[in-house]
Amino acid sequence: MAVKVDRLQKALGKNKVLRGISLEAGSGEIFGLLGPNGAGKTTTLRIICTLLSPDAGSVEVLGFDTRTAPEEVRRRVGVVTADIGVYPRLSARENIAYFGELSGVLDGELEGRVDMVLERLDMVPFATQRAESLSSGQKQKVAIARAIVHDPEVLMFDEPTSNLDVLASREIRNFMVESRDRGKCVIFSTHVLHDAERLCDRVTILHEGTVVATGPTADVRGAHRDLEDAFLELVEKK
Amino acid sequence: MRTLAIVFRKEMREILRDRRTLIAIGLAALATPTVLVIVSQVSTKTATQTYTVGYSGDIPTGLDILLTSTALKLEPVADPAAAAKQQVDIGVEFQPAQIDEWYDPTRQSAQIADTRLQTVLGQFNAAKAAAALQQKGIDPGLLNPVPLRLHPLSSPVKAAGNAFLSFFLPYILITMVLTGGLSAALDASAGERERKTLESLLLTPTPRSRILLGKILAVSVISLVSAIAAIGSMLLALSQLPLLGAHVTLSPLAAGVMIWLAILLAGCFSSLTLTLGTLAKNFRQGQAYSTPLYFITIFPASIILFIPDFNPNLAYYLIPILNAVLVLRDAIVHNSVAWPALIITSASLAATGLVCWFAALRLFTRETLLIRS
Repeated sequence: MAVKVDRLQKALGKNKVLRGISLEAGSGEIFGLLGPNGAGKTTTLRIICTLLSPDAGSVEVLGFDTRTAPEEVRRRVGVVTADIGVYPRLSARENIAYFGELSGVLDGELEGRVDMVLERLDMVPFATQRAESLSSGQKQKVAIARAIVHDPEVLMFDEPTSNLDVLASREIRNFMVESRDRGKCVIFSTHVLHDAERLCDRVTILHEGTVVATGPTADVRGAHRDLEDAFLELVEKK
Repeated sequence: MRTLAIVFRKEMREILRDRRTLIAIGLAALATPTVLVIVSQVSTKTATQTYTVGYSGDIPTGLDILLTSTALKLEPVADPAAAAKQQVDIGVEFQPAQIDEWYDPTRQSAQIADTRLQTVLGQFNAAKAAAALQQKGIDPGLLNPVPLRLHPLSSPVKAAGNAFLSFFLPYILITMVLTGGLSAALDASAGERERKTLESLLLTPTPRSRILLGKILAVSVISLVSAIAAIGSMLLALSQLPLLGAHVTLSPLAAGVMIWLAILLAGCFSSLTLTLGTLAKNFRQGQAYSTPLYFITIFPASIILFIPDFNPNLAYYLIPILNAVLVLRDAIVHNSVAWPALIITSASLAATGLVCWFAALRLFTRETLLIRS
């Protein structure tokens, strides 16, 4: 498994956000981390990518423990969030190159990597434009590009389409599918269950910091009309 | 080192594309010479301006010539006391045995006219007394039994210039080092949080200490450039303007001390402002947190203004900022360096910078940094 989360617990202040969740995501799959707002999805992702440390339990990414080898984990992870913050006075290319350099891409490879990412995300027409003049969709592409410029094995998307229009959202979804097909482990966190149902191979549903269901998407949906109905029934039972 | 250089390069690129920072540096370079030109013109005008003396009575023979040659214009008035209120600068009534003078101390023109009148009268009285004694065959030297001979060890005009520099230069240095890099520091700290790039930055495998150090270096460089631009333009203006009766210049020793202190102060202020910026949620909050720092620039320089001969013991040189002001003052006024004072000052400023750096690093590695954002 590319990502292994074991009995993870985390409190933020007095609020117990995670109460011992476990999950596993593998390479070559889109893994859905689902649940309503406040379920603990973002906190889980932040612990996986080492921004936060767990209070109890453990997380391994490609065999590296997030506590003992955080830098090794960060080298292998790329994260895209709904916050498409970019450096406004740098061009799209400069933004991407900066993160490539910081992520350890060597000088000799950097230009080629940046060019490849620009082409892959169809960003060449606005690559030299300053980020402050880009549209939201274009900025989101910059955010994706900087997350993948070092070619990470694990890609995490935290509500990536929440600030985007229909066209830009579709491009993100296509990109996730393409990454899965390239053998990457794609973790997709969302509260839009409809999106997850279309994309995810397997899902874990969180509610109030606990796992209420996990498994292949079709199994979790079961006999229900869709994933949303399944989720509502699970929550009501709880 | 590679990652440090990467962060430094990126920060410099952003800073140099930031209109706010460039305008601040430009204004810093222009503001001081502009102020000095105005001060120079006003002082020149004040020195050569003619002031009016409203008088009544008979002017002693010869005194009118002396007064006129000292740029005091004589104007007959009916009531000198009333005229001194507004019509003329001072009012004088010449009587056979004495002279009455009326002036308003709240008016600067009255003060200057009064000083000139007293100087001229002093010389006139001395000359008259000497002539009277000589007429009676008595040595006029009797009037001045113990004459004083002055032997200034340096040029009094240069000393006046140095006194001016010893207040003005530390003030400009500290102010410019602080304000020149402030915008860049807040942009590199609070700005990261405000535009939501902080999380992505912390997700890179680069150690946070290096990210922070790269930012501090960039802010320090811009602070230094700003201070040097302001001081360079100030010194250029001073070398061209006859301020205080002479062209004021900075000795090579004082210039060297100034640059060394500027480097230390830049490192210190960069760490401090980055710490405050890291505490802030956005640029505006960062500015609010940094406002009290402006007082730091005013108080130490004010000590030199109000107590020019303030000669404290070495313990005072442990106080950051004040120590820089004192060392720089000594270098300018005496054209010499007290090495123990300079060493203590350097150690104190370096330690302050380190403490601020550790504080910033601690903030930078805390989870609350992300949770709050």
